[in-house]
Amino acid sequence: MRTYESIFIIRPQIAGDEYTALLGKYKQILADQSAEILRCQEWGTKRLPYLVKKQDQGTFVLINFNAGNTVVKEFERRLRLDDAIMQFQTVLLEGGLDLSEKEEVAPNTDTDADEDDSEQDEEQD
Amino acid sequence: MAFDKKGVARRRFGRRKGCRFCADSEISIDYKDVRTLKYFVSERGKIVPRRISGNCANHQRKITEAIKRARNIALISFTSKRTIE
Repeated sequence: MRTYESIFIIRPQIAGDEYTALLGKYKQILADQSAEILRCQEWGTKRLPYLVKKQDQGTFVLINFNAGNTVVKEFERRLRLDDAIMQFQTVLLEGGLDLSEKEEVAPNTDTDADEDDSEQDEEQD
Repeated sequence: MAFDKKGVARRRFGRRKGCRFCADSEISIDYKDVRTLKYFVSERGKIVPRRISGNCANHQRKITEAIKRARNIALISFTSKRTIE
């Protein structure tokens, strides 16, 4: 068992029920393969620093899970096939996940994103 | 010889020396922490070299990896946005 961290970007057009269904689907994919979900963070829709699949916005989701390497392979295969997923990245956490510390980090990343947005707006002008 | 000295003197401008990650073990390097990474990226989006950032080899390697991960998942840009002139 290894600890992985997966981030994927969902198309911004997908929101509401469709979005929760999509999220549930991927959690289910992990659960079906007996992966243990440690944390699931929704960062919301952010402006992207560069175009991804011709979109300048995307909805970020972060999932941490404990699983074997075959689970990641299948999970990424499913993400790759889904048109609603613009981009994904899975990273192995070598030191495991320290939840107490990470939870403090999470809100900061959100505020960072907001500030980034304003900066980018300025650049574009 | 005087010419050489001049060159050396010109290079000396106020840069913070020493690795800030070695100085403070509280700071962790994380690819999701855009605010910290921005410090090691030029305005153009390039990774700042170690001789300027002052990082030790170990931490510079970690920073580089983190920046590349952040770029890959669209947290920071590969280059600054520029219109083609």
